[in-house]
Amino acid sequence: MAENRKYLPLASTRRLEKLMTRYYFLTRYHRFWGKPLRRPLAWVTSGAPVELLRAFRIHPVYPENYGAICGTRRVSAQLCQVAEAAGYSQDLCSYARSHIGSILRPELAPMGGLPKPDLLVACNNICGTVLKWYEALARIFRVPLLVLDTPFLPGELTESAKSYVLEQLKHMADFLAHFTGRRLDRRELERHMALSKETVNLWKEIRGFCRAKPSPLNAPDLFIHMAPIVVLRGTPQAVHYYRLLRNEVNSRVQQGQGAVPGEKIRLVWDNIAIWYRIFGFFQMFSERGACFVTDTYSGGWVMELTEGDPLESLAATYTEIFLNRSPEFRARQMIELIKDYNADGFVMHSNRSCKPYSLVQEVIRRRVMQETGVPGLVVEADMADQRVFAEEPVRNRVQAFLETLSDI
Amino acid sequence: MTGMVKTSKEKEQLNLLLEEAALSGREAAGRYPGRRFFGYFCSYWPEELVLAAGLEPLRMLPASSRGAPAALPVYCCSLAKDTLSLAAEGKFNNLAGVGFAHTCDTMQCLGGIWGETAGQAVTLVLVPPVRLDAPGALAYFKAELAALLQRLAGLTGHQPGGEDLHRALALCEHIRRLAARLDEMRSLLPSPLVAALLRAGQVMPRADFARALETALPALQEQAADPGDKRRVLVSGAVLENDDLFRSIEELGGRVVADDTCTGYRHFTGSYAGGKDDPLAAIARRYIAMPPCPCRHRGLDARPDHLEKLARARQAHGVILVTRKYCEPHAWDAVPLSQRLRGAGLHVLVLELEGAEIGGQERTRLQAFLESF
Amino acid sequence: MNKYYLGIDIGSLTTKVVLVDDTGAVAARAADRSGYSGRRVAERLVEEILKEKGLDKKDISATVATGYGRVTFPADREISEITCQARGIAHLFPAARTVIDIGGQDSKVIKLLPGGKVADFAMNDKCAAGTGRFLEVMAGALEVRVEDLDDLAAQSGESCPISSICTVFAESEVISHIAAGRQKADIVAGVCASVAARVASLASRTGLEPEVVFTGGVARNKGVVNALAEHLRCRLLVPEEPEVTAALGAALLAGNIKV
Repeated sequence: MAENRKYLPLASTRRLEKLMTRYYFLTRYHRFWGKPLRRPLAWVTSGAPVELLRAFRIHPVYPENYGAICGTRRVSAQLCQVAEAAGYSQDLCSYARSHIGSILRPELAPMGGLPKPDLLVACNNICGTVLKWYEALARIFRVPLLVLDTPFLPGELTESAKSYVLEQLKHMADFLAHFTGRRLDRRELERHMALSKETVNLWKEIRGFCRAKPSPLNAPDLFIHMAPIVVLRGTPQAVHYYRLLRNEVNSRVQQGQGAVPGEKIRLVWDNIAIWYRIFGFFQMFSERGACFVTDTYSGGWVMELTEGDPLESLAATYTEIFLNRSPEFRARQMIELIKDYNADGFVMHSNRSCKPYSLVQEVIRRRVMQETGVPGLVVEADMADQRVFAEEPVRNRVQAFLETLSDI
Repeated sequence: MTGMVKTSKEKEQLNLLLEEAALSGREAAGRYPGRRFFGYFCSYWPEELVLAAGLEPLRMLPASSRGAPAALPVYCCSLAKDTLSLAAEGKFNNLAGVGFAHTCDTMQCLGGIWGETAGQAVTLVLVPPVRLDAPGALAYFKAELAALLQRLAGLTGHQPGGEDLHRALALCEHIRRLAARLDEMRSLLPSPLVAALLRAGQVMPRADFARALETALPALQEQAADPGDKRRVLVSGAVLENDDLFRSIEELGGRVVADDTCTGYRHFTGSYAGGKDDPLAAIARRYIAMPPCPCRHRGLDARPDHLEKLARARQAHGVILVTRKYCEPHAWDAVPLSQRLRGAGLHVLVLELEGAEIGGQERTRLQAFLESF
Repeated sequence: MNKYYLGIDIGSLTTKVVLVDDTGAVAARAADRSGYSGRRVAERLVEEILKEKGLDKKDISATVATGYGRVTFPADREISEITCQARGIAHLFPAARTVIDIGGQDSKVIKLLPGGKVADFAMNDKCAAGTGRFLEVMAGALEVRVEDLDDLAAQSGESCPISSICTVFAESEVISHIAAGRQKADIVAGVCASVAARVASLASRTGLEPEVVFTGGVARNKGVVNALAEHLRCRLLVPEEPEVTAALGAALLAGNIKV
């Protein structure tokens, strides 16, 4: 019998909304305060070393986060069609297509689209698509494009790869000094990195609470509350927010309050969220007592800044992110999460839009199942383009998967 | 008497090349016993290092567009899916190993899962710089090449020395010069013929290829004829594992006067400008200066400039941008390239193929395109 | 002594033949399902129209074959259906600058230069969505005839949207709507809107320049015509016999008859 499981909202969510609204408000009206304060606006990839940009007082804006917003508001499909009409293949990343659609038809886009950039900064640690996406943006806006090439790591980070990234960072810093008319203040850089580090530690702590049974959080909570670590990493606001959230999540654990009442099944999620079904999808699980206690996506921002010289630290940290690593590394990560969080199974979103994340999933799934003994389900969809989501087949698969777990 | 013997030797070598092109390396081990072949996927894979290590580089090509291996989802290109299927069937077991030069997200993943799913004992991954003109790119690339050379040495148990490297570079340079001569006269030759000859240069022992092409060139010069009022086209794309496209263009009244494809002439472009004294630096510099593919970055205009210039130089009327279904880098580039080339007064067709085969639907598009000139 | 020119369009579903005289006027035309051999059907149709006009094979000065099965027919020339369609429409509508052709298995948008030359084109032939096939599948799910779709669409009060890009998933969406008790007319309106949306997307690749002509078998379906005109926000001209316009173009090309 499927009981009606209610979603347990977090009190912190109201503060989160305020924080994000303020951020997007400031962003939207950047043209009024950017020039007088000498703070250019940059469109930045999610894996870029934003701490360096903040040291130059640049205001970062994240088209990928915007893509997620388009997905959540269910306007992605329409915006993608606009991009497709302009010649962009429907097989390209839906964040990129949505974003380009918002540029071509801002009247169809959330917040009327993003404000025009003064600068573009792309780091290819997350994928090769961002390079092509940002080249397209550079052609549209005719502003400088900075590319940080972080070589893919089949194994461990080599000295030569690290030196290459460091060399690029140094040149980037020189360019930014020239571009902003400010010099690189090393103390400022260290301050922002320290703030990042604290944010990362808080996020790590928050995620860590979910080891508790029942888990205080479910996947939708993680996806919603990760926004500040992506777009406000390196700011005091992010630190304040995550302290608040940490306290609330901690108190849930103290009171034994679970995100899913009557938690029976603990699962791990892999890949980016299915934004246009952020609650509905997980309800298929929570109504059967299944909770996603952790995931690899929001965990991707638990990147410990290494010690030492700031630029060297940035070079190493941003090259070593999980999406820039081998399937072996990622399988190991998944296995550790399953063991650490006492999971009964895992679900992998085979996300059409994200090849680096998705193409290795089958191999990882087999290995993880072999080593942990827990079953893994693959669900085919797309992170933002809802035209790709087929309700019935997905529902059937999920049901069958949960039935096998319920027999345990 | 001597004249006749010479002519039949030319034709014989030409036929050998066409045979090799048709086989696409499938029977390499049997046809060249005693040689060890090393597979590679991308034109940025340094063939020179493979040769210096005493191995023969062999380009990995799909046999069809129908492979559907369980380890990969549907939404990646048939180059990845079909080669992985072939590997699972044991078709590449004879290879000493397989090399992946990091190119796109799909090949990044394929390189990561190949060893396990293809049952290949040796999988080597090289990660060239994406930013060709970045500070530190050359030094980084050199270091990567040096590391790769060591690993190749480990395969053969023989440490390649300066001599081996210089020999390898000289051979590759010689081949590129021959390929350039062939490319220069391609508007006078049937399109599929040139395509096949260039492919042969990637799927057979290199020294044999050089010898055969050099011998066959006079026979080709004899065949050369004015293309008349054939529609002149430039073809740009990635991997084309057969000559179907070129044959179809020819049959429909077109002639490929220039090709910027990974398995076509782009594979043979570039030179060791700056000398060969430091072989690894020479190799790196050549890759950095070559006309870039969409997976590399050298500003926004390098590729559009190159293609526009090439189209003008060869007096092309139209450009066909071939993209393989699910190939992202080429799909991205198709947008600015079509804009730029149309703006330059050229007819442009973006042709998406599942593999490299030209079916009825593709033929209709090609025909309509050529009819519209 | 009148000269005649023959155009043969062998499609995957139907075969059409058109006979024109040297002024480009249509002397005769015929159509039938291609069945197993479009070529044989074409040959039979040619015999029929010759008999009808009291003509003989030697009265035909030239023949052009087009369509899916064009290479199978022994014509003087075979020309792509895109070029033929452009020519045929330019003949009927000299002011035409964009042609939208929705057939049984494919849809195309052709941009024309004055005189009927092809400037650019976009095609969808790898997917059933936005083609006659899509309408057939949905009609099947609704248990109505394809011919009745346009009357039903006219009765719709509130169109029932279909979001899937895949025909198979769209069919299951239609079935869900039926199960939910939605009106057939509203579902049909949604189906027509879906086709219109797909085709509009195709049209935006080449751009829409008036006059816009809508041809092909599906152009007989007023539900789709209205949905398309609404989606594109422009006037659509529809030929009286939309199925034969490509064959007409082929015949005109056979006679090298200018607009």
